[in-house]
Parts: sequence; C-alpha cells; structure tokens
Amino acid sequence: MNKPIYIKGSAICCPNPSILDDYALQGMDVDKTLIPATLRRRTSLTTRIAITAADGACRQAQMDVKTLPSVFASLGGEIQVTDALCRLLPKDELLSPTQFHNSVHNTTAGYWGILQQCQAAVTAIAAVDDTFAMGLLEAWTQLQLNATNVLLVCYDEEWPPYLAPPIGQIAFASAFVLSTEKSDSLASISMPETENLAADYHKQWPELVNSAPAAASIPLLAAISQSKGKVRVPLNTKGAIWFTYCETP
Amino acid sequence: MKRHNSIESVAISAYAAASDCGLGTAALLQALQHNKSALAPLILFELPFSTYVGEIKVPLPKIDPALELYQSRNARVALAALNVVEDGVRAAVESAKLRYGKERIGVVIGTSTSGLYETESAYAVLLEQHKMPDDFHFITRHAYQATPRFLQLELGLNGPCYAISTACSSSAKALATGQRLIASGVCDAVLVGGADTLCRLTLRGFKSLELISEQRCQPMDKDRAGINIGEAAGLLLLEKNTEQTKSCPQLLSVGESSDAHHMSTPHPAGLGAALAMTNALKLAGLEASSIDYLNLHATATKINDHIESLAAYRVLGDQVPCSGTKGITGHTLGAAGAIETIIALLAIKHQFLPGTAGLRHTEDNCQCHVLKQPLLHQSLSTAMSNSFGFGGNNASVIVSAP
Repeated sequence: MNKPIYIKGSAICCPNPSILDDYALQGMDVDKTLIPATLRRRTSLTTRIAITAADGACRQAQMDVKTLPSVFASLGGEIQVTDALCRLLPKDELLSPTQFHNSVHNTTAGYWGILQQCQAAVTAIAAVDDTFAMGLLEAWTQLQLNATNVLLVCYDEEWPPYLAPPIGQIAFASAFVLSTEKSDSLASISMPETENLAADYHKQWPELVNSAPAAASIPLLAAISQSKGKVRVPLNTKGAIWFTYCETP
Repeated sequence: MKRHNSIESVAISAYAAASDCGLGTAALLQALQHNKSALAPLILFELPFSTYVGEIKVPLPKIDPALELYQSRNARVALAALNVVEDGVRAAVESAKLRYGKERIGVVIGTSTSGLYETESAYAVLLEQHKMPDDFHFITRHAYQATPRFLQLELGLNGPCYAISTACSSSAKALATGQRLIASGVCDAVLVGGADTLCRLTLRGFKSLELISEQRCQPMDKDRAGINIGEAAGLLLLEKNTEQTKSCPQLLSVGESSDAHHMSTPHPAGLGAALAMTNALKLAGLEASSIDYLNLHATATKINDHIESLAAYRVLGDQVPCSGTKGITGHTLGAAGAIETIIALLAIKHQFLPGTAGLRHTEDNCQCHVLKQPLLHQSLSTAMSNSFGFGGNNASVIVSAP
C-alpha cells in the first residue's frame, strides 16, 4: 500500500518570465544573495537558478533544510562549464581545477549541501525527455521508504547552440518540497506512472519543453497554483507519457 | 541473528564486469587473487604528462547498427560487460523479462563521463571548422542518460530508465536507487551499475587538481602520490526476493550522506564518510561487528585515504579487514561503486579477502586493519564498499552471501 505524498512548497526561477504568461504562473529572478560572494563567482547560471528555486520551495514549505534529502534532476547540468573545458582540451592549455570540479553533474547538489550545511543524502539524475518524470519518481520512492520530506529540483540553463538544438534556448528551474505529512500541504500526488494515452495540456507546452527541458514541470506547477481539484498531470512530452494525479484541497 | 532492517534487501541475480583486467568477473577475480595490477601507461590518446591508467585493451563489441546513434566508447564498455556469457547478466535479464514483463524492469546506471571521449573529438572539429561534425549526437552519446538508454533499448526493456551522476559515487548511488525502485514496488527488477571511460577531460582535470600519480598508484601507502584513472563497466541485476532468488547474494543497503564541506576536498574529520557507513549499517539493521570486509574507496590521494581511514576506524574499529583495489583497476570514477561492489561479491563468493596492490607501508597512525596481500580460504558473508565523490557525495554499499 503506497503512502500518499503531499506537496508542501513549490517555486520557479526563470530569468525569462514572459514564458510563464501562458500558464498563469509566477517565477522568481535569480537571487544572487543566496550564495556568499566567495562561492558565487565560481557558480554557473544553472546552479544559481536551481538554488533560487530550491530556496523558494523550502521557504514556502517552512522546512528544516539541514536534514532534508534532495534530488537534483537536470538534462545537461553544468553544460556551460563542460563546454568551456572541452574548448580548452585541443589547445593543451591548463584546465582550472575549480572549473573541473564544477563540471560534475552534482555541482549544484554539492553547493546546495554546503550552503545549507545539509548532510542528508543528495542525488543528481538525468533522463533526457523524462528527466522531470524520473526526478519525481526518485523522490516518490524515497518518500515511500525512509524519508519524510524530500526536495526535488529540476533545472537546465541555456546551452551552446551547436550541442542539441533546439534544446537549451531558455533557462528554467523549479523546485518542490514533497512530504509524507499532510499538514499545511498545497496538493497531493499519486505515484508517477506511464501510459500511452494522449495527455491534456496547454498546446504551447511541448514546444516550450523542446527549448527548455526543465519546463516539463509546468503542468504540475499549474495544477498546484490553479487548485482545480483532481487532475491528471503529464510529466513529459515525448514517448510513453508519464503522469501523476494531482489533487488540491 | 535477527536484523532490524529498515529497507528490504534485494537479490543480486547476476553481475558482470569489464575492466583493465579484461572482460568478465573471472579476469577481475584472477587479478584480485594474485594482487596483480593491470595499470599501464596510457595508449588510447596522447596527454601532456605521463601517468598510469586502467585501460581496457581487449577489443570492445560493436553496437548493433540499429542503435548506431548510441555508439560511444562508454556504451561499448557497458555492452562488453553485458555480453560476458559466463557472467550471465544478459541471460538473467531475459529470464526476468519472462517472469515480470519488460515494463517491470528498470535501468539505472551511474556515469560521470558518459560519451565525453567522443565529444572531445567533436570539439576539436568544432574549433577548426566552427561546426560540430555530422556524427555528433549530443543526446544519444554525450548526455548522461545515453548509456542507460542504450542498455534499455539493447535489452528491450520498458521500465523507468535514468542516469545517476554524482561523480565518483555515481554507481553506488545507482544501487541505492535500484533497491528503492524494487522495495517501493515500482519495479520487480532493475539493471543497475556504472560505466565510465578514459577521456582527456577527467585526466587533465584531476591533473589540474594535482591528484594524478605519475607512477602506479599506492592506495593507503604512506608514500602515495595520487590517482591512476581507470575505465570500466559493472552491471548488476537486482530483483525482488522470491523462491527463484534463494541462492542469490543480497544487496542489504546503501547508506548515503553529504559532507556539506567543499566541492573537491573531504570533511577534515571524515564526518560525511562516517555518516554514509553508519547509515548503511542502520538501514541494514546490522552492527559494525557484522562487517567481514570493507572495500575502501582509497583513491591513493594524500588527503582522501587518510580521512577515509579515520572514518572507517571510527565506525568499524580496528578489527575489520579492509583493502583498496584501485591499484588493480585504477579509479574508475562513475563505475567505481559498481566495480567495487562486484569485488565485494567476488570476495564473498570465493571466500577470500582482496589485498591492496601498490601498498608497501601504511602510515604510522593508520588505525585500520589494511591488507597488503590477498588472503585466500577465509570465511566471510557480509561486506561493505565505500564510494565518495566530488560535491561531498558519499555512499556505502552492504552486500551479503545468499
């Protein structure tokens, strides 16, 4: 028997907020003050938008972040840092040690833990078109077993245009605090499942996801903010559609 | 003794390895039992410095033309492990498909490099011709999920599929995720593991951090001078426990933690490392005294090995035999957690304790019981394997005999 899972906080960080107009959602600008100046100059846009969204969701949920396990889901992760390093390789130039350790996929996850002094488990996943869906599934399984609360952050920044166009034209991050506890929750969700059924979503959304893979979370964010009762929410746009039922009080 | 575990154990119905020792766990076992290093100077590509690496020198299998888009050295190393008939992972997956159905079997693979080796060549073209070569396919070759997706397509599976990429703990974390997918009822079986290949970025990156050894690495040695990078794939099929899996070894738990200290330097007192080991024991419902062998992360850098020995002593004391095996395989980064869990499983199956190739003298203040030479004809049933990565990302895996 599955435990019901509740959403206690959610937030969006999007440097290009006009893309949210279609969905009646509000995003935050990057909050530079969240990262101390000594670390800030080392962090990429992807880390900054992810940390801004994560902080927003945790503040809404009024969660003790020090003990909160987290799942960081991103298709490209630190793609700009990796790109800069790959451009140096053919030239036999020395690499920057900071850039190198900041190129790993769990860079944002690592900085989040350092900033919050959080020693809880942190994972970093990637699943191309299913990145948000698998991130939600990963968080869901943790909550079914030993975790009471889990932070899920899904993010991707702008990519160099020659890598995988049209992917990576828009930076987008969103975050959710998920919990097994119902009190003060915004919504509940069912186990993420897959089905080869047409899903109901805003007609612009798949195109947006093509250029901003992390925007796959928009239907869930919209379902929470619009309080439409119980709705079937798609979590990806291609292949077998992953979905969850989201229910608002 | 009754365990008070807080996660159900899962069966490990098959496991396979491809490493510098050769294709298959038999080659790895032989190297372990003879403490024979396979590390050698790099031949795959040129570097502006000299070092030893764990390079796979046997021919790698070709990717099916239908999956040509997924063609990368990383996918081929993973395929090499999958294709080892004696290790039987492919057969075990086929059997699981018949019993559970392809929708009920997930694929979760840890990787830090994915197809970076090919991407590096593509960038050489980009810089010269100002466009990527026609055969550059970022999503199916470079993206982290490329290798798990390739394995899913190669095996005709249809369950959840994703990559875990937490640097050098990636594939230990993949084991954690696989166990959770089964224990929470989402999947009946999950193919887990890790694959990473040698590439310029990781070698030159670790060199920039002054962590690369010019000589064969010496894990836990007082004169250790850094890492030798290796490449490998380790695959394990996890299944829910049924009548059929009675004779299979078990994945008991994976303890996870974060250092919350620094991106590339461990917590000076080893708090994160100790917490991962403690969490693993707690999840499995075991006392420290139940651990018969610890496979150390032991990368052979000055700081990491010292701090791991502090953490291991604090959690397990000075009696548990432990060793580091990166003097044989090199540090296989995102594949290390899977390869070293497989080494722990081989130790249990063949009742021996691996040694630490390259180790001559431990530090005077090392309080752990570090083995230099392998010990055959031992009695062990439960083993732990540590993996620690950049970002302070820690995971400790516990496996046991059937």
